[in-house]
Amino acid sequence: MSDAPKVVGFVCDWSVDLAPLLDGGRLRALPNVRIIRIPCSGFMRPSWLEETLNRGADGVFVTGCPYGDCLNREGNYLMRDRLDQLQRRLVRRRIDPARLAMLAHGLHDQEAFLAEVGAFVERLRALPAAAPARPAPTATAATAAEGEGS
Amino acid sequence: MTLATQARPSPETAVRGRYGRFMTALLRGTIRLDTAIHRIYPTDYNPLYYTGGLANLFLLILVLSGLFLFFYYEASLGGAFESVRYITEGVPYGGIIRGIHRYAADAFIVAVLLHLFRNWFTDRYLFSRDNPWISGMFLLVFGGFVGLTGYQLIWDERAQVLTGLFLGMLRAVPAVGEPLARIFIGGAGVSNSTLVRVLFLHVAPASTLYVLLWWHYLRLRHPKIWPPATWVLFSVGLVFLLAGIIPARGETPATPGGRPTGFPMDVFFLLPFWLLNWFAPLFVVALLTVLVVLGFAIPYIGRREHPEAMSVRHAGVAQVIDGNCTGCELCYYDCPYNAIIMVPSPAPGLSRAAANRTLLAVVLESRCVECGICVGACPFEALELPAFLERDVRQAVAEAVRA
Amino acid sequence: MRSRAVLGVVLLSALALLFALGIVYGEATDRWFFGGALVGALLLAYSFIVLLLRKMGILGPRKAER
Repeated sequence: MSDAPKVVGFVCDWSVDLAPLLDGGRLRALPNVRIIRIPCSGFMRPSWLEETLNRGADGVFVTGCPYGDCLNREGNYLMRDRLDQLQRRLVRRRIDPARLAMLAHGLHDQEAFLAEVGAFVERLRALPAAAPARPAPTATAATAAEGEGS
Repeated sequence: MTLATQARPSPETAVRGRYGRFMTALLRGTIRLDTAIHRIYPTDYNPLYYTGGLANLFLLILVLSGLFLFFYYEASLGGAFESVRYITEGVPYGGIIRGIHRYAADAFIVAVLLHLFRNWFTDRYLFSRDNPWISGMFLLVFGGFVGLTGYQLIWDERAQVLTGLFLGMLRAVPAVGEPLARIFIGGAGVSNSTLVRVLFLHVAPASTLYVLLWWHYLRLRHPKIWPPATWVLFSVGLVFLLAGIIPARGETPATPGGRPTGFPMDVFFLLPFWLLNWFAPLFVVALLTVLVVLGFAIPYIGRREHPEAMSVRHAGVAQVIDGNCTGCELCYYDCPYNAIIMVPSPAPGLSRAAANRTLLAVVLESRCVECGICVGACPFEALELPAFLERDVRQAVAEAVRA
Repeated sequence: MRSRAVLGVVLLSALALLFALGIVYGEATDRWFFGGALVGALLLAYSFIVLLLRKMGILGPRKAER
């Protein structure tokens, strides 16, 4: 893994204030990290995280509010539990569970957030190369009625 | 939805009114306070995350100490002060329990106010979350009244002054003032039935607080009703320490002909009476009424009723995809607002997993805050947020991993 | 950092023992306010011991918060 690892981060609307940190869809400080905003950290389906890894991301993380301060009360706790379960599933599917991370940062915690993401990226650099990216699931798997395009 | 447009407009760039900008400043200040606290306490020990639990803890301390006091208290004009003196000086640790009751009451109000301000400044009362706010306002008003009657029960000089002042305030209310005053003191004037009435008006609203708490918890799953252990120890220790160092003692007993004029102030319960030094009773009553009404109105003030006006994401209330729902109840268990209920399935679902279901999930839209936690919980793609569908997420992921 | 926390726990525990003895003394001599204040001081000391243990990592957050 010589290049910067490709990392996708799902950051909740109410957690760390990314307005000063974002440059388009990426973090200015860490351009290999792309950010997708979500309504709450508990919104993430584990299957989407797994799909992100399968589609070629080297690492994926979810960021919610500090534990105890989720605006929706329990989102970050629930996501933490789901990520624990997902990491066990990833082990069974021969994907390194270290590619998945749960972060918890509040509105003003930009520095701590950047530091933790930076450390995550460094850990990813040290991992052996992931399996090649698999294409998106075909129409037989996805509900064709939804008009799934990709 | 491209990644760029997905970023919600930041509060600085969106057009907002003065009230909105002021509330944002309060939000940011409140969270900055958290950052300071986290230098000492880890996030799971932050007392500001458990203000409701702290109030509940102090309420329990009040009930237990109150039960103790109730065993010894005599509700008569001649006997009340003497019974309280006996508790303080004659009963082992009686003075401590009395002090605990007094200081836990102050701490209760402090915790309730912290709870009110924190939930106000961090937007936790908006849209469907107005219900706990309304019940919380009732809790505050009832709690304040219980504090007043508590001070009266001692029947010392302060109680005499307070009773006179409060009767003055009641009588100043047009039309209903005089009957209210009679209800409050159990007759036309202060008599032996007064303290019996005041005791009722102390214990009954205090018990009602638990009914109001039941209402307060209705729309919350797993409400945080207890603070972490370190704060339980701290709070109980604090009230014990205060009770020992600054004993709560009655000053002088009330006398039938006495006309005392001053009393030691308790800023948590008795502030309105301090205002009577300068303002007419009717004015103070009107001021309190306006404040309480404004308090109730906070969830409905201004255009902050609608997410569009607040530059927050408006993803739409969660929708159950009927054909896929298997009745597994995972969304029902995860929804933090009890906005999902399970009903007997009227018909089998469409997908194979859903064909044999007995239960169906239904979203109570009036309770849904559009957080999407249910979407994350569902393993069967049976829930969605209309403006942020699964395919939108997958598209965003595809764009993110490209290049 | 950790040794400072350990020192704090040891100090607070010694104080707590002192307070406990004081409580017994207050009970024996009917000094109830004195004994009650020391009960409070003891619980306050315990609360800070719990905080220090948490900072040392001996007590941890619940599993969902790691």
